[in-house]
Order: sequence, then structure tokens, then C-alpha cells
Amino acid sequence: MRVARIACCVTWACLLSAAVLAQGVTLPAVERVELGNGVVIVLLEKRDVPLVGLEAVIRGGAVSDPVGRAGMASLLAGLLEKGAGKRNAAEFAEAIDSVGGVLSATAGLESITISGGFLARDAGLMIELLVDMLRSPTLNDVEVTKLRDRRIDFIRAAKDGDPRRLTAIYGAAFLFGQHPYGAPIYGAEESLARISPATVRGYYRDYFGADRLIISIAGDIDASAMLEKLTNAFSDWGAATAPLPVYDAPVPAVGRRVLLIDKPGATQSYFWIGNVGVSMNYASRAELDIANTLFGGRFTSMLMEELRTKAGLTYGASSSLRRPSKAGSVAIISYTKTETTTEAIDLALSLLVTLREEGVADDMIVSGKNYILGQFPPRFESAEQLAAQFATLEAHGLDASYINDYGDAIASADGENIRSVIKDVYPEPDNLVFAIIGDADLLREQVARYGDVAEMSITDPRFHP
Amino acid sequence: MAIFAEIRRRNVLKVALLYAVACWLLLWFVRHTSEVLGLPGWGETFLWLAMAIGFPVALLFAWTYELTPSGLKRAVDVDQTQSIVYKTGQKLNAAVAVLLVLGFLSLAGERLLPKFEFLVPGIPQGDAPMSDKVPAEIRSLTLANGLRIIVWPDHDIPNVVMYNYVRVGGRNEYPGITGLSHFFEHMMFLGTEKLEPGEFDRIMEAAGGANNAYTSNDVTVYQNWFPRSALETVFEIEADRFENLATYADAVEAERQVVLSERRSSVDNNNFEKLYEQMRATAFIAHPYQFPILGWPSDIESWDENDLTNYYRTYYAPNNRTVVFTGDVTPGEIFELADQHFAPIPSQDPPSAVRTIEPEQHGMRRIIVESDTQTPLLHIVFHAGNATDPDTPALNLLLNVLVGGESSRLHRMLVEDEGVAISVGGFQDEGFDPGLVYFYLTLPAGGDPARVEQRVIEELRRVAIDGVTDAELAKARNIVIADFWRGLATIDGKASALGRHEVFLGDFEHLFSAPDDVAKITAENLRDVAARFFRVENMTIGVLQTAEEPGVRR
Repeated sequence: MRVARIACCVTWACLLSAAVLAQGVTLPAVERVELGNGVVIVLLEKRDVPLVGLEAVIRGGAVSDPVGRAGMASLLAGLLEKGAGKRNAAEFAEAIDSVGGVLSATAGLESITISGGFLARDAGLMIELLVDMLRSPTLNDVEVTKLRDRRIDFIRAAKDGDPRRLTAIYGAAFLFGQHPYGAPIYGAEESLARISPATVRGYYRDYFGADRLIISIAGDIDASAMLEKLTNAFSDWGAATAPLPVYDAPVPAVGRRVLLIDKPGATQSYFWIGNVGVSMNYASRAELDIANTLFGGRFTSMLMEELRTKAGLTYGASSSLRRPSKAGSVAIISYTKTETTTEAIDLALSLLVTLREEGVADDMIVSGKNYILGQFPPRFESAEQLAAQFATLEAHGLDASYINDYGDAIASADGENIRSVIKDVYPEPDNLVFAIIGDADLLREQVARYGDVAEMSITDPRFHP
Repeated sequence: MAIFAEIRRRNVLKVALLYAVACWLLLWFVRHTSEVLGLPGWGETFLWLAMAIGFPVALLFAWTYELTPSGLKRAVDVDQTQSIVYKTGQKLNAAVAVLLVLGFLSLAGERLLPKFEFLVPGIPQGDAPMSDKVPAEIRSLTLANGLRIIVWPDHDIPNVVMYNYVRVGGRNEYPGITGLSHFFEHMMFLGTEKLEPGEFDRIMEAAGGANNAYTSNDVTVYQNWFPRSALETVFEIEADRFENLATYADAVEAERQVVLSERRSSVDNNNFEKLYEQMRATAFIAHPYQFPILGWPSDIESWDENDLTNYYRTYYAPNNRTVVFTGDVTPGEIFELADQHFAPIPSQDPPSAVRTIEPEQHGMRRIIVESDTQTPLLHIVFHAGNATDPDTPALNLLLNVLVGGESSRLHRMLVEDEGVAISVGGFQDEGFDPGLVYFYLTLPAGGDPARVEQRVIEELRRVAIDGVTDAELAKARNIVIADFWRGLATIDGKASALGRHEVFLGDFEHLFSAPDDVAKITAENLRDVAARFFRVENMTIGVLQTAEEPGVRR
């Protein structure tokens, strides 16, 4: 047995030190057209299954929510399917469901996205519905009020549910404060309550228009016929009336502070520890991806290995990078039973110190590269995935090289550069913002050691303290 | 020229041809029988060498000797007028022809008659699909140890998906070991005789692969997603953990805590799951579908090594598993690797059957779960059929009519028109044994569960009497057909769909008849299915709400 194990170790040592195994991805060529009014159309014919995938992006998103009315862009996205063109809400839903289609809109930080998937034979209907959603949403009082009130209850229900979905929202609110990146995308109970039907209609007029629309369609389509249809539908659409919001990069937090969110009776504590990170255009993206994969981006990452596999403190631990157009967040996320809250947080912090001071080992770098490259191609497999990828590239002003060159960038990333990227991106342990959901009566004194504690209740109708 | 004519006259060329054809046949035969005969690996090389040396010797012999009616004589000694070299030449030609025919027959037999491949030992190529609706490139095979393997090649991306279905889940448990199937799912990552705890994941991820696993009431499924380059590595470590699992006490104890943490997150601090767990425990009084997948906490804290060992031997045997591969592979290479890595794992006696049949319910059951909540929850369930119940496909369509999408009856009525719920959903268990059809609703803050319950029951009663409209039926069919194609858009979806149909319906080929099958289901079928299951005496209702003030309830 001993011999076998040694033989195995030798084999795997050879494997680990070997060259990087997998290749990158080359995106298929697409047809890209920009209409005179600024609408960008990207089309790809792909015929393995009789489906067509759609991704339409309106640049803007939650960062353009009016002050105090967080959730506006997200609510508007939800309302696009609550009646548009000649169909009321019920008819619109019926039109989608009756052909087995999927069509929904969601808001992100810096865009609103409409995603769809239909059988190829129903592509015409899909375009008709898309045009109506973008150009003539009904936005009547009844539907606005109904969806707004339901969403307030959804947030309450989420607070009654698994707290894992909430830590990042509280974390961002506490870290970014009044910067647009701090507002909860979906909104909060009190910010949604301030939104009236008239303000939603005003917001639509201000922020929807041809100058910020991207339409990406992939699948079993005839590209030239589709292009003609889209051109006819959108070439006479005007620009939005308000400019896209302009804002500075958020300023990193200095020192330590703690937000304790009280969930009475919780048997487990959920924590988010972070600071301001980097933007999507960060030059050493490949090096950073490798570093984050090794720190907390996969099952055998440092955080999972120590907090879960060795210590049994948690079911999950990860490090998250949010990379919008300006610097986003970098954070450690995990949870543990109430009694081991500080033990788990201390361990996570010590791993952050280790990462910054010791970097990552060369054999792990090869392993991380293989992992990233091996898991890369399945993100570009179906028509819906490809449509989404092309739309995302366009929305950020990037071309195919962003994907096509990525494989080489990962393969050739150098250990020294990875170590300097770590120092650059991961926060110093003295400058950290903590958001902890748990039973405050049991945690209050223990977590005071991490910094000044601000406290709120999970039932408070907001995410900011 | 004279010497060349003499070479021809003495049949040297014909002998050379005969020699070559005979060598070809001999090599072919040895190559296909070496495994059965137990010939060493260098046997073929030796044969080549011997044949090469023999070739000039044979030619020299043919030149030197000549066959005469009185036997073999030196050619120079034969009287040219008595020579029968012409006849000998004809015999040689005939021999070449016979050998060639034999050779071609063998080749044709090997290619055209795969059913007789046991006559031609080697790596099996698997069975082609029976139905012409099934993609012709799919191959399936059952190894001698009972392991079933299905392969669907798809070379769109250079990746492979492997789903390893083990036929064990909550239904195989009993009080004292509840949650053991799920814990075993974790055990499979905790070390073997060859690899220490965590090595499986380290090797997998270093080779570019990722993995996960899940446990249900019926099965435990191990999923590996990896680049083609990792194929052999994955076979090696997957076979290793299914043959040589070891128990590392420290790792098992740490993992017990991990599972308890998983339970705290997904049940104790999650109102939906809190109610869900109590609903199953109430709806079933006899059948093990009543146990939570993660197990009752006291059981999680107390299984011992014996329980684990028995579980592994009985349920993880190859005859209790099915493995599905999709992606950038060929059936031949999969079956060859399976032959090498999976075939040596011994089969075991089949696990004993789950004997308990849930007795018929005779009257409504009702539970209340008290938990701090802003938004009350309402769950309504009925006993229904299993995966192979003839009514299951019709019930699936009916669920689409009732809760599939925003245009569905219950969503439109309760969420959009009346605003008494903020969401509604539903599903049916499609397991080995009869399970539940399950409706779940979230109410707005201050919502009235009793009123919503009444509205749901009224609507279910109505569909059992009036049935559904043709438009609703058409919509439900379209949803199922579109979902069918969506499921086949990725190699992961393909693996999942093939495995589910093979394991639960007994044959993966059923997957591909799904679009035709739903076309045959009528509106009457949907009404009958509603009448069969949506009966008050077959119903369990549960509400999760904040505890009322003491004294109020009396």
C-alpha cells in the first residue's frame, strides 16, 4: 500500500510539473452590424439543435437608479414582460409559454439584459416580443404597483430563507456606502416602496434608447433574414434622453469596520470580508484569475481546503471578485456554526495573510492553469451561451480577442507576476470591511475584536446600516 | 531475361506471393487470438522477425527444388520434358486464392458481424441503438461485472462529461442510518487505499477537471466535467474510489461536521426546507421517502464505520451502477478504458429490495411549523405514481398547465389576479417508488394561508372535473418539447438526460420518444390524472408561520 501510494505521488508529481494540458477557446466568426442610430447587432448561425438563443443588452443598469430608489432598473426589467405592444401582461406571458419559450429581463449593476430561448420555428415571435419589450412596454399603474409590492415581499421571503444569498448584498452596501456600487441591484423594501409608476415611466424614457442597445442572437437562424427583420424593427428608434451615468472608482476602505446583521435564533453565522478590488479592464486579468482560483475559486482552493476539508468548519468557503467597469469588490465568503464564528473568521484572515506573504506555489500555478483552461470551453457551448458571450463583449467594448487570447494568457502567466498581482489586488488584513449575519446576542462581543461594530436587524427594510 | 524466365518457370514468384498472403493471415490470426492464447506481448514482433528471415529461405528453396511425381528433387536434376511446374503453379495459384478468400471472409466477419464479436476477441464496440429515433452514434454496453455504460460522442467542444449513477438514496435507509446515502456521497471524496483524503479533488482539478455529486431519495450521482486530455486520469481515480475506498477516521469526523453545517444552512436556517422536511415526514408514514436526504441530526452524529463498509460493498458494486459519457470521446476508447479500469471491479449480490409500500392515505393530514418568518409558506401535496407509472407523463403536462410559467392557472389566479401569493410552483417525484406531487406557495407578509389553501383546492377540484382546454394542452406539450431540446444543447444536459431515462425508465432510448409520447396524451388523460390524485383524503397540507402569541390559539 505504501509503495502504491508513493508510486501514485510520483505519477501525480510528474503530472503537476508537466506543461499545461488544455487549449483555449476560439470564438466562431459572427456577423456584426451597427445601425446608424447605434444599435449593435451580432448574429451567429449554429444548427446542432433546433433552438435559437437571444441576449439583448441595454447599457446602464442599477448604477443609474435614482438616489434613494434602489431597484428601479431591476423593477423596470421585470415590468418589460408585464405587458408590451398590443399584449397585456397575461397575453404576453401566454405568448411566451404557449410555444415553450423562455424570455425574461434582469438588471445588473451596469446593464439590463433580456435573455431568451425559443424553438427555431418561433424565432419570429421571439423578435416581435423583444421589439415590444424594448420599444413599447405598457408600464401601467396596476402592473407597476403589483410587481413592486410583490418584490418587497420577495425580499422579505429571501430574508426568511437561506442567508447565503444575502451576505454579498450587505457587504457591498457597507463597503461602497453611497457609491452607486453600494446600492442593492434588486432594491430594498423601503427603496422600492418609494418608486411610483410615474417615476418608472420617466426612468424608461430617460434610459432606454437605440444608442445603448446590443442585440445578440445565435442558433438555428438564417442570419441575413434575421438581420433584415431587426434592422426594420430598430433603425427608426431614437436615442435615450439621459446620458449614461458617470462616476468615479470607489475608494478602498482604510482600517477595519464590522456590520452585524441580527437574525435571532440563527444557528449559523454567515460572513463576507472584503474591500475594493479591480475593474473588468484590469491588465493582469489572467494572473488574477489564476490567483483567485487557487485562493478560493475551486474545491481544492486554500479557503476550502483549510476551512472545510481540514477543519470541518463549513460546507463552503470562497473568494469572490466582482469586476464591473470601475473597481469592484474582492471578498472572502463563508459560514459556520455560531459557536465557531471567530475561529472560522480568524482562519480565513490568516489565509489572506499567507496568500499575500507567501503567494502561491509553482506546482499549484500549473494546476490552477489547467483547471481554468479545462473548465473554459463549456462556457461557449450552446447557442444561448454564445449569444450571451457576444453581447457581454459588445457591452464592454471588447472584441473576440478578449476570449480568444485568454487561453494563451493563462498558459503563459508567470509566477512572479501572479505573486505581485496578489499583493496588488487582495486587501491588507488591516483594511477590511466585515458583514456578518447571525444571532447578534451571541456574536456581539466576539466580533468586536475585528473593528467598530455597526448593528442592524435582518428585518430592517434596507441593506445599508 | 533467361534468368527471369527461369525464375517464373520455377514458380518462385508464386511461392513468394503465397508466402506473403500466408504471413498476412497468420499475423491477423495471432493478433486476434493472442489474448485468449495468453501469448506474450513480444510474440507478434518475434513472428515478424521469423517471417522476414523465412522469406529469402523460402525463395531459395523454391528456386532450388522442384516438385515431381516422384517427390521433391533439385530443379537442375529434373528432366525438363517431364517437369510438372505448370501444374504446381496452378496449385500455388489456387492456394493463394483460397487464403485470400479466407482472409477477406475473416475481415468481413470482423467488420460486418459485430454480434459475433466474441468469436473475434478484442475491445467490444458496444450496441447500436434499436430505434431509428435515437442518434445512431450512441453506443451502450454492459460489462461482465454488470456495470452498464452508455456513450454519446459529441465533438463540439474538447470536453467530456461523465455521470456515474449509483442506485442508492434515501429510500434505502432506515431509522438510525438516515442521511447515510448523502454522507456516503461525501465519503467518496475522502480517500482510498491509494489516495489520501482530498487527493481525488487535487488530481482532478490539476488535470483541468471539476466534479460534484448529489443525492436524492433514489440515487446518488457523481458528475465529472473535464477536458479530453484528462480522460485516462479520470478513469484511473474514478475506478480507484469505486474499488478501494478507505476510511480515514479524522477525515470522516471532520466531514460529519461539514454535513452538519450543510444541514444548518439548507434546513435549519431555511424556512422552505424546514417545512419541506416536515411535509415528507407527514405524508409518508411507512415508506422511507419520509426521511430527509441529509438525515436526522442524531443519525448524522452517530453512524459508525460498519454502516459505511456495508453500504459501500452492497450499493457501490458495479452491478448497481450506470455510467454515462458524453462529449469528445469515441465509444471504442471508452470501452477500452472501461475494460482496463472498471471491468476488474467484482460484482456483488444485488441489494435487497425496498419492501415497504406506502399504504393508501385515508384522510387529510395537516401540519403547522412555527418559525420566525415575514412571509408565510403553504405546501400542499398528494400521493402520486413512480417514474414508470403510465400516468406520470400526463401528470407532468398537467403540472405545466397549473404552475408552469407566468401564464399557468395557479400563477395567474393567485399571484397576478388575486395577489394572495407572491410565488407558486410545483413538481412531482419521479422515483423508483410512488412519490408525491408537490405544490408550494409563498404568501405576502400578512397573507392568509387558509384562504389560499381554499383557492388552490377549488382549482384542483375544478381541473379534476372540467379538465383542461386544448390551448392549455398544446402549451404544455410545447413546453415539454422545448425543454427536451434545451436539455440536449450541452454535453452536460445530454449526460443527465440519458442517465435519468436509463436509470428510472430502464432504457435511455425512451428519452428520444418523449416528443412523440407527449403528442399522444389527451386532455381527457389530464383530467383523469387530476381525478386520480387530487383527492382530499389523499392530501397533506402544511403551513409555516411565526408562532402565535401564547394563549391566542385556545
